[in-house]
Amino acid sequence: MTQVILFNVLNGLIVGAFYALMALGLSLILNLSGVINFAHGGFLALGAYLAYSLAPYLGFWGGLVIAPFLTAALGIIVERVLIRRLYGRDPLYSLLLTFGLAFIFQDGLRYTWGASSVPYQIPGWLGSPLSTSLFFLTGYRVFMVIIVALAVAALFLILGYTRLGIRIRAGTLDLDTVSVLGVNVRVLRNLNFGLGIYLAGLAGVLAAGLLGLSPTIGDQLIMPSFVAIIVGGLGSLPGTLAGGLLIGIAAGLTSVFFPTAQEAIIYVMMALVLMVRPNGLFGDAGRVQ
Amino acid sequence: MGKFEKSINRRTILKAGVAAGALQIAAPYIVKAQGEQPVKIGVDNPLTGIYTALGKNENTGMALAAEQINAKGGILGRKVELVIEDSTSDKTDVAVQKARKLIQSDKVDFLIGNVNSSQAIAISQVAAELKMPHIDPGGHADVITGSSCQWTTFRVCNTGAMQGNAMAKPLVKIGKKIYIIAQDYAFGHSLADGLSKAAKTAGGTIVGTDFFPLGTTDYSAILIKARAANPDVLVDLAAGDDGINSLKQAVQFGIDKQLHLAGMQQELEVLEGLPPEARVGTWLFEWYWNQPSNVPGVADFVAGIRKSTGKVPTARTWFGFAAIHSFALAANKAKTLDAAKVCHALEGLKLPPEVACQPGEPYYRAEDHQLVPAVFIGHAQAKGAKDPEDLFVVDQVEQGPSFIPPATETGCKLHYPT
Repeated sequence: MTQVILFNVLNGLIVGAFYALMALGLSLILNLSGVINFAHGGFLALGAYLAYSLAPYLGFWGGLVIAPFLTAALGIIVERVLIRRLYGRDPLYSLLLTFGLAFIFQDGLRYTWGASSVPYQIPGWLGSPLSTSLFFLTGYRVFMVIIVALAVAALFLILGYTRLGIRIRAGTLDLDTVSVLGVNVRVLRNLNFGLGIYLAGLAGVLAAGLLGLSPTIGDQLIMPSFVAIIVGGLGSLPGTLAGGLLIGIAAGLTSVFFPTAQEAIIYVMMALVLMVRPNGLFGDAGRVQ
Repeated sequence: MGKFEKSINRRTILKAGVAAGALQIAAPYIVKAQGEQPVKIGVDNPLTGIYTALGKNENTGMALAAEQINAKGGILGRKVELVIEDSTSDKTDVAVQKARKLIQSDKVDFLIGNVNSSQAIAISQVAAELKMPHIDPGGHADVITGSSCQWTTFRVCNTGAMQGNAMAKPLVKIGKKIYIIAQDYAFGHSLADGLSKAAKTAGGTIVGTDFFPLGTTDYSAILIKARAANPDVLVDLAAGDDGINSLKQAVQFGIDKQLHLAGMQQELEVLEGLPPEARVGTWLFEWYWNQPSNVPGVADFVAGIRKSTGKVPTARTWFGFAAIHSFALAANKAKTLDAAKVCHALEGLKLPPEVACQPGEPYYRAEDHQLVPAVFIGHAQAKGAKDPEDLFVVDQVEQGPSFIPPATETGCKLHYPT
C-alpha cells in the first residue's frame, strides 16, 4: 500500500506538471489582458492536430517544434482581429467570445480531421517504461516532465530578464502606468497572448502522445487548469505552477482510495484552499481582475 | 450618452443571442423529402461531443437502410424519410427535448436513439408516454430492456449481462484472477455487473473493480492500483475516447507484456484511433465486417457503406442499419403504422440475412424486446494483412441463445395499454 501511495505521489507530480503547463498559458493571458480564455482547449487541440499532420513530413520532433509556433501565430491573429476589441469592456464579453471560439474550434477540427480519434504516434523508445518496478515512469512521461520544466524555466527567464518579460510583469501590476511610460500596450498584449497560446499548443502536442487525438481532447484538460490557477492564486505564475502540481497529486492519491472521486477531489481542494486563503495559495490580497 | 446607449443595445443583443444558443434548438436536417406523405423516422443521436463518431456511424447505417427500403417500395408504399436531430453526447435534457420535438412537432412515425445509455433510457420513457415505437440502436445499459423496459422500446445492441455471459468463459480461460476498470455511469456499471456475475459462475475471481469518471484523461493512478492487485487479466471496459486513452496508456506502461489485456465490447472506432502498438488484447465485437465464414448480406452491406463513406461499416453502422430495417419490416408485416400493432409485429421478428449480416437468425425477444444476435470474440491486430481497416481477428462466433439470460431474469415486465 505504501508503495502504491508513493507511486501515486510521484505520478501525480508528472500529471500535475502537465496541468501546470496549460494553466501557465491561461494565467499569462488572464493576468495581463483580463481575458478568461475558454478557447484555450481549442488552441491545444489545434496544436496537437497540426503536429499530427506535420508528422509524416517532419517526424515527431519536427511537429513538436513547429506546431506550437503555428498555433501561437493563429493566437496572435485571433487576438489582433477579435479579442483586442473587447479589452476594457465587461469581462463577460471576452468570456462569451472565447466560449464561442471554443465551439468553432471544435467543429472546425471535426470538419477538417473527422470526428473519430486519429492515432498519433510517438517514437517507439519513448513509449515504454524505464524500469519494470516503476512501470508508470515511461520514457514519454519523463520526457514530458523535462519539456514542461524547460518551458517553465524559459518562461520565467523571459519574464525575469528580457525587456518583453519585464514589461509583461509590469503591465500585470499596473497597465496604465506602463502605458504612460511609453510602452505600446497593444503590442505587449498581443505578444503575451501569443506566448500563452504557444504554451497551449505545446501542451496539445504533448497530450496527443498520451491520449487519443480527437476534437474534444482539450475539453477534459481545461477545467483542472482553471482550478490550478485559482488554487495557486490569481496573478501569481509560481502559484499557478504549484496549483497544477498540487491537484495532480491530489487526484492521483484519491484514485488509490476512491477512484470515482478523482475528478471531484480537485474541486473539493479548491473549496478548501479558498476557505483558508481566499486569494489562493500565492495570490495577492485585494487583487481584482 | 449616445455611446452608452449603443453599448446597452449591443449587450442586450448579445445576451439574447446567448439565450437563443442555450435553448439549443436547431432546424432539423431532413435527409430525404420525396413523395406525398413520407413515413418519418426521427433520429435522436449525438452529432456533437465525445460520441460524435459513434452517432454519425449509426446515422450512416440508417441512411443506407432508408435508401434500400425506398428502392424497394418504401414502407406501405410510402417513402421513408429520416428527420435527424443532435441529442448532444451527454445532455440528457437536450435528448429528451429533441425526442419530444420529433414526436410532437415533426410528427414522426417512429423514433430512434441513443448511443449514450442515460439518454437512451430517457428517450424510451418519452416514447412510452407518447406511445411512439422506439428502437435503441446502441445504448447498452441493461435496464433499457430490463427493469425500465417499455412496451414501445426495442433494442439492437447487447446488454452488459449478455456480453458478460458471452465473454466470461474466454476470459477465465486466459486467467482466473480478473481486475475490472470501467466508466462510472450506467453503461460501465452494466458491463461490470454482467461480467462479475458471469465470471464467478465460470470459475474466475474478480480481484478488484474500479470505476472512473467519464472523460478521465489520466489512467496512470488507476493502472498502478490495478497492477498492484496482481491480476492475470486486466479487463478494460471503457468505451470511446476513454477506451483509447486507457489502452494507449496501459500499453505505454508495458502492462500488456506483464498481464493479459482484455475487455468486452470493443469497437472499430476505438482501434482505429489507437497507434498500431496499442491494438492488442482479447475483445468482443457486437458486429464485425470481416467475418470468418461467408455470410450472405455482409459483402453487400460493406460495399454499400464503402460506397457512401469510403470506409468499412462498424458495429455502430450496423446497429443503425438494422434499426431502420426493423421498423420497415414490422410496419410492412403489420400493414399499418399503428404503434401497438407495429410493436407487436416487432416481437419475435427475425431479421432476414440481408439485414442480419451475421451467422444465425437474430430476432427480437417478445418478453423484453431485446434483439438476440450473435457476437464475435477475437483479438485486436496492429495491421490488417489484406486491408488496413481490418484491425480485429474473429476467433469464435457465439450465438445469442447461448449467452442471453432468460427473460425472467431481466426484471422486465411489459405493459401494453389496454
